[in-house]
Amino acid sequence: MGVSSGVSKAAAIVGAAESNEIGYPEAPRTSLELHMEAIKNVSNQTGIPISAIDGVFSAGMSSEIAEHLGLHPKYIDTTSVGGCSFEIHVHHALLAIYAGVIDVALVTHGENGWSARRIGRGGGGGYGGGGASSPSAQMSMPYGLSGAPSNYSHAMVRHNHVYGSTPEDFAHVAVVTREWATLNPRAVMHSKETHEFGGPITVDDVNNARMISWPLTMLHCCLVTDHGGAVLIARPEIARSIKTNPVWIAGAGENMSHSNMLEMGDFTATSAFASSQAAYEMAGLGPRDMELALLYDSFTITPALTAEMVGLAPRGKGHLLWKEGHAAPGGRLPMNTNGGGLSFNHSGMYGMQLLVEAYRQLSRTAEDGVNGIRGKQTSARTCVVNGTGGSLSTTGTLVLVSDD
Amino acid sequence: MAYNKPIPTPSSLTQPFFDGAKEGKLMLPRCQDCNRVHWYPRHICPFCHSDSIGWIEGSGEGRVHTFAVQYRAFGGWGQEAPFVTAYIDLNEGDRMLTVLRGVDANDPGSIRIGSRVRVEFEQASEDISIAFWRVVEE
Repeated sequence: MGVSSGVSKAAAIVGAAESNEIGYPEAPRTSLELHMEAIKNVSNQTGIPISAIDGVFSAGMSSEIAEHLGLHPKYIDTTSVGGCSFEIHVHHALLAIYAGVIDVALVTHGENGWSARRIGRGGGGGYGGGGASSPSAQMSMPYGLSGAPSNYSHAMVRHNHVYGSTPEDFAHVAVVTREWATLNPRAVMHSKETHEFGGPITVDDVNNARMISWPLTMLHCCLVTDHGGAVLIARPEIARSIKTNPVWIAGAGENMSHSNMLEMGDFTATSAFASSQAAYEMAGLGPRDMELALLYDSFTITPALTAEMVGLAPRGKGHLLWKEGHAAPGGRLPMNTNGGGLSFNHSGMYGMQLLVEAYRQLSRTAEDGVNGIRGKQTSARTCVVNGTGGSLSTTGTLVLVSDD
Repeated sequence: MAYNKPIPTPSSLTQPFFDGAKEGKLMLPRCQDCNRVHWYPRHICPFCHSDSIGWIEGSGEGRVHTFAVQYRAFGGWGQEAPFVTAYIDLNEGDRMLTVLRGVDANDPGSIRIGSRVRVEFEQASEDISIAFWRVVEE
């Protein structure tokens, strides 16, 4: 038996903010300061004082963050399972609020994926993998894989084999996502002003970019940037009494298929099928009810595969949402409206960027952004958010609905 | 030339695999209750959760499940890029990661999922040999 349906909308996201600087800051930033700026900003945005936070959720840094804020939280969650950790934190926060343990949850992220090249991580970062002594590491480390792209490419090749798709099909994901980025001035790849290679791109550009892990060229891969973000989640009485618009957590679910890709049974499927089923069931809604989709895009294969898993496209045809323009600005199902991990910002764990964009779209504040910088507002009232962590390993799905 | 790529450090759990590799044998963990082979080595059978795990000598044969060509790599592997990584479906069940031999990394279109492969071992140090898989004729 599932969780009681009373949990649906038992809490709302009441604010979402970023650190003052994201992307490629001129002066190197630490993860901790990216966290703190975002927390300060979300407190100012909502009018909820930091002292009212009684649950702290982060990917690996919750005790350090709570101490830094002088908090003594009643609920401490430091789940760190890759980029989907933040969607999973929202799930856990919803349950903790529903159970009456806490009133206000802070979900926070700070990650200096860019600055770390100069100054190191400066706190937090990384997620569990068992270390070099684990048996799965011993049986993987001899074979020259170097990070996420070298793993995800195997999934695209298998998808091509099973469904007859091609790498060019997936290039459309990068092209359309870049189109969204040109509408978001905060996106790293917004324009030639924000980055020498910014602005619109073509399928040929994607095909001809430097090869990283065949068939993935560089433009099939996400950025590596700095980012800090924080959201506050509160029970309905609080959500109704503050100045910001609530965005209701109608459904939430999480699941995992493996940790090491050695244990990925089907290279063309992820646990997003299971996590989205749980989220839809809690919400009493289905894929056809979704007017916006924010699907983690570490690589072009990731959101295309995820679209299939969360029921937005038939098996083997996820990439057509982009290729046929449905996911593009003006399309029937806007997707990754911030410009995605591919062209907006990806710090290593991108799940917080998804939450911030989901809040902005559904609270009708996408044009305001933070610090008066505009985004791109859609008319969506419902949104499916899916985070994917590790090597297509772990997923968290949220079904969010606007207040009106 | 001395082996210049990462060499794993065995633990008690994985030692039988490396003992076999040194002798040119592909040793695989098999549950003594449900008789299923699993990979990588476990303390508890991932299928039936028995803690009674034995080892068998595998056939050393399998097929390519999926692959990719790595252009970006570090250390000794960086000098060999591009090279082909692959997941191998073992004849005995479950799956291994490898660097695939007997294929042309510069012509990925010529590499076939489902190709038959056979294991071989390269001595990396006095005690450690690494398993690699090579595409063989049908």
